[in-house]
Amino acid sequence: MDIFSDLIMGLSIAITPINMVYLLVGAMVGMIVGVIPGFGPSAGLAILLPVTFGMDPVGAIMMLAAIYYGAMYGGTITSILLNTPGESATVASTFDGFPLAKKGRAGPALVMQAVASFVGGTVGVILITILAPMFAQVSRSFGPPEYFLLALMGMLTLIVMIGEHWKLGMISALIGLGLGTVGVDLETGQGRFTFRSAELIGGIYFIPIAIGLFGLGELFYAFYKGMHKTGSGGIVQYNKEERFWPSKHDFMSTRMTMVRNSILGFVVGVIPGAGATIASLMAYSTERSLSKHPEKFGTGEMAGLVAPETANNAASSGAMIPLLTLGIPGSASTAVLLAAFLMWGLRPGPLFMEQNPELAWGLIASMYLGNMVLLAISIFAIPLFVQLIKVPYRILGPSIVVICALGTFSVHASFIETYLMFAAGIVGFFMRLYGFSAAALVLALVLGPLAEEALRQTLAISRGSFVIFVERPASLWIIAATFILLVGLPLLNHIGRRARLSKQPEI
Amino acid sequence: MRVAFLFVLLFGAVFYTYVAFFDLSFLSRTGRLGPGFFPRIIGVFAVSLITWVIADTLRDNRAEESPSSRWGDVAPLILFAVGYAVLLRIFGGFFATLVFLAVTLTILNRGKKLQNAILSVVIPTLIYLLFDKLLNVNMPPALFVLPI
Repeated sequence: MDIFSDLIMGLSIAITPINMVYLLVGAMVGMIVGVIPGFGPSAGLAILLPVTFGMDPVGAIMMLAAIYYGAMYGGTITSILLNTPGESATVASTFDGFPLAKKGRAGPALVMQAVASFVGGTVGVILITILAPMFAQVSRSFGPPEYFLLALMGMLTLIVMIGEHWKLGMISALIGLGLGTVGVDLETGQGRFTFRSAELIGGIYFIPIAIGLFGLGELFYAFYKGMHKTGSGGIVQYNKEERFWPSKHDFMSTRMTMVRNSILGFVVGVIPGAGATIASLMAYSTERSLSKHPEKFGTGEMAGLVAPETANNAASSGAMIPLLTLGIPGSASTAVLLAAFLMWGLRPGPLFMEQNPELAWGLIASMYLGNMVLLAISIFAIPLFVQLIKVPYRILGPSIVVICALGTFSVHASFIETYLMFAAGIVGFFMRLYGFSAAALVLALVLGPLAEEALRQTLAISRGSFVIFVERPASLWIIAATFILLVGLPLLNHIGRRARLSKQPEI
Repeated sequence: MRVAFLFVLLFGAVFYTYVAFFDLSFLSRTGRLGPGFFPRIIGVFAVSLITWVIADTLRDNRAEESPSSRWGDVAPLILFAVGYAVLLRIFGGFFATLVFLAVTLTILNRGKKLQNAILSVVIPTLIYLLFDKLLNVNMPPALFVLPI
C-alpha cells in the first residue's frame, strides 16, 4: 500500500506541464541519439548532460532518464531498416529484424519492436516499483566492506563479460582506476599526480572523460570506418507496404516471448556489469531454444526480434536498481546518470528513496509515462527518424564535435576540462580501434574512488585485517554472488556469442 | 600503429608507477593505508598487463589491417577538432564554432557551398540561443573580443 501511495505521489510530481515537456523532449532526443549508428545511450547522456544544467533537478533527471530509455527504443530502427545496429544492445535485433524488412514486413517489424520495447520497459518499471524499496531496505545493513565488494563485483563482471579481450578490458579498467586516483588524498591531504596544478587538486572530473570517450571517440571511429561516405541507399523502404500494422498472429505468437524476456532482461540488468547487450543476446538464444521452429530464427521470425527488444529495454530498467538503492552504477549509461545525480548534490544509496521521495518516485513514475510516450513516438514518428538516418555523417560529425566541446565547457566553465575531453576523444578512438573497452574505463573511474575509500574505511574498522570480509553475512553473500557471476556469466556470454556466430553466416 | 599505442600506454603506466612508488607513501603516519597503496597496486598491474599484451602483439606479427585511406578520413577531423579547441580559447564559443564548421564542412561536404554556408551560421546561432539565452549556461568567452 505504501508503494502505491508513493507511486501516486510520484505521478503527481511527474505530471506537471513543464515536466511532461522535459519528458517528451528527452524521449525524442533519446530516440534521435539511438538511431545514429554508433551512438548509444551512454554517448547521448554524456553529450546532453550539460544541457540540463539550467533545469530543476526533478525535470532534469526525468529528461535524462527519458534520453536513456529513448535511446534503447531508437537503436532498433536502424537495425531493422539498415541492418546496422544503433548500439551494441540492438545487435541481436538485426538477426531477425532486417530479414523481416527484406521480406517486405518492415512496418510490422517496426511496430512490434516498439510494442516489445514498451512491454519490456513497463514490466521493468513495475519490477523497479516493487523491488527498489526492498533492495533499499536490505542495503541499509551495508557498510564499507559491502560497498567495496559491490564496486569490485561491478568491475569484475564487466571485465569478464568482455570475454576474449579480457586483458584489454582489464587495462581499460586500470586506466580508469589510475585516473580516479588523481587529486588530493582526503585522508592524508597529500596530493596525488596533481603535479602542483590547482586544476587537478579536485581530481579528474568524470563527465569530460565520458563525453570524450563516448562522444568524440565513437565519432572518430565512425569516420575511420568510412561511415561518412556511405549514403542512405541501404534503407529498406517501408512506407509503400500494403500492411503497415502487425497481424493478430504477430501479437498472439509473441505474447509469452515478451513476458519471459521482460523478466530475464530485468534480472540480467540488475547485475552490475552485465547490461542490456548480454540480456538481448541471451534472450535471443533462449527464445530460439524454446521455439518449436528454431530453424526459422534468422530468416525473419517475429519472436527473434521481439525477444531481444523486450530484454534490452527491461535490462535498462533493471540497471536502475543498483543505481538508486546502492549508488553503484552497473553500466556506463547509469554511471553518467549517477554523475547527473551527484551534480545536483544528490547521492543515490540505501537512504535515497527515503530522503528524496519526491525525486525517486517522480523518476519512477516518469518512467511509466515515458514508456507510453515512447510507444506513441516510436510508431507515429518513424518517418521522421528515417529522415534523420538519411542526414549524412559528414554533416552530423562536425556538429557532434561542437556539442561535445561546448557541452563540456558549460559544466564548470573550464578550458582544462574541455581540453581533457578532446584528449579523451582521441584516446577513446584508439581504444575503440584496438579493442579496448571505454565502458570499463568509465565504470572504473566512477567505482575506483568509491572502492578505495570503502577499502580504507574497512581496514580502519578492522585494524588492518581482511578477515572482516568473511565475518559479515552481507559480505559473504556478495562474495558468493560474485563467484557465481564470475563462473556463470562467461557461460551465458558464450551461449550468446554462439547464437550470434550461428546466425551471422545467414545474414 | 597498435604497438605504438600500446607503448604510449606502457610509458604512461611506468611513469604512473614511478610516481606511486617514489612520491606517495604506502602507509600513513598512523599506520593506515597511505595515498600510495592503491596507485602502487594499479601501477604494477598496469605495467605487467600492458607488457604482456605488447609481447602477445609482437608474437602475433600479422600485418596490420588498416588501409592508409582510412587514416586519411579520420586524421583531418581529429586535426580540425584540436584546432577547434585552440580557437575556442582565442575567439570564444560562437566565432570559433562558426570558423570550425565552415572549414570542416568545406572539406567534408565538398561542392555544397550554399548548404555549408547556411549550416555554418545556423548551427552556432542555434547553439548560442539554446545555451546562452534559453538554458543560461556558460559559453567559452573570447580571449580577444572581436568587433562584431
